[in-house]
Formats: sequence, structure tokens, C-alpha cells
Amino acid sequence: MANPKDTSSSSGDNTVIGPSIVINGKLSGDEDLTVRGRLEGELSLTKTLIVEPSGVVKANVDVKNAVISGAVVGNVDAAESVELTKEGRMVGDIRSPRVILVDGASLRGRIDMGEVKGERSEKGARPVRAVRSVPVPARPAARIGKSKLEGKPSPPPPPSESRSGAPVPPLVAAGSRRRVVVKKKAR
Amino acid sequence: MANTVIGSSIVIDGEISGDEDLVIQGTVKGKISLKESLFVDSSGVVEADIETQNVEVSGKVTGNINASDKVELKSDCRVIGDIKAPRILIADGASFKGNVDMDVKER
Repeated sequence: MANPKDTSSSSGDNTVIGPSIVINGKLSGDEDLTVRGRLEGELSLTKTLIVEPSGVVKANVDVKNAVISGAVVGNVDAAESVELTKEGRMVGDIRSPRVILVDGASLRGRIDMGEVKGERSEKGARPVRAVRSVPVPARPAARIGKSKLEGKPSPPPPPSESRSGAPVPPLVAAGSRRRVVVKKKAR
Repeated sequence: MANTVIGSSIVIDGEISGDEDLVIQGTVKGKISLKESLFVDSSGVVEADIETQNVEVSGKVTGNINASDKVELKSDCRVIGDIKAPRILIADGASFKGNVDMDVKER
């Protein structure tokens, strides 16, 4: 996040929308944009959008980086990062691989960091991992247990159970307790 | 850096209004209404009706200009449209096509 701040502090020939300026319509460009006034409509940049505390953006925003210290109403789609500072207020959805919410920032909307993988596990990743990782070791154990106990198990059920197992578990439950535990965890 | 600057790679399609100076180095289409001065730099392209106090054009403007004080067309500017202002200055080298209305009564 160092780059956007640097460029904002050294705002030499960046585009600036002053505090009393109102723009209504479409704005696009290939340079940094600092909004201190009001911008409504559509905004697409290939660089960084900086909304200062006095700035109001009511637009669908498509940028590379966004640093929001003012108010944004609309969806923000950033190729690199979105940062809501402590003065930032936003209503709308954020889509970006990096999203930074600082203490004090307010947001109402969804956040989509795309495919969350590896060590960067956020809220969205945990349930997915849990569902995938738990059944894998459990399934073979359950099959073995069943075949030993009942001798003649019906092969098709296991895969279908894992998807919509609601009616099946009670029947199997008597045979293998493990399966029941797994279902509870997965649900 | 108090005033507003529309940088050279920026394209705005819509309305701009406000009460501070505006410098345009990029492209603006639509309408501009300000209470202060508008500067269209040499790289600036404006396809809009303009309503301000002062206008200073070094770039390209297509549209009607209505200024409450002064319009200045610098050399190398290209302006197509009607100009209405009490004071109009056209520098040597400027190209302009349109009507001029210097509302004499107001002065």
C-alpha cells in the first residue's frame, strides 16, 4: 500500500477533482485520480483512485488501486487492491484480490477477493477447506468399516451421500459412528 | 494544487460543475459550468458547452462558450462555436470559427 500513498502525497500533475466540483457522467483515464469533490456515474482508471475525506463518489468504479478516505456508493472493482482508511465510508461491493479495512472504516456490502488460496485464508476459505479435507480421510474408513460389518454394502451410496446425505445417514448410522460424526462436522 | 485538474489521459463524458478553477489537459465531452475560470491547456480537448466566468483556451474547444467576464483564445488554440462574453481576446495564431457576441449593454 505504499505506492498509492506516495503518489497522493506528491500529487504534482495528477488529476484532481476539487472540493466544489461536481462531475456527472463517465470518467476514464490512465493516471491517478484524486477526488475531493463529487463524482457521479461511472469511473474507470488503469491506475489509482484516491477519494479524500471530502470526496464523494457515487459510481461503479473500475480501477487498479483504490484508497478510500471519503464516501463511496457503488461497486468497486480493483485489479490490485482496495483500502478503506479509518475515515472511509462505503456502501457497495468490493472485488479485489487485496482488500484492506482499517479500524474505523465503515462498509456495507460484499467483499470478493476472488479465488482465495494457500496461506491467505480469509473468511470465505475456511468452510470450503473443511468440507473438502474432512471427507477425504473419512470415506475410506467408512467403507472399510461397512464392508467388514455388513459384508455386502451397496457401492453407489457413498458418493451420493456426501452430496445429499440427509435421508441416508440414519440407516448407516448404526453401522458406523464415524460417518455420523463426519456429517455433523460437514454441516 | 487547490484547483481541479483533469489530467491528459483522462476522458470525461458528462457534466462538470463547480465554483473553483478548472484546468483541462485531457478530454471532456458534455457540459461545463463553473463560477470561476476554466483553462483548456494545449493538450486539452473540450467538446462541450461552457458556462463560466473566465475561459482561457490553448487547446481545442468545440461548443458554445458563455462567459460572464472574459474569453481568451491563445495562440495555437482551435475553437469552433459561438462565444458570448463582455470581453473577448483572440491572440495571433489562434484559429476560431463561430459567432462573437459581446453583450454591450452589460458593460
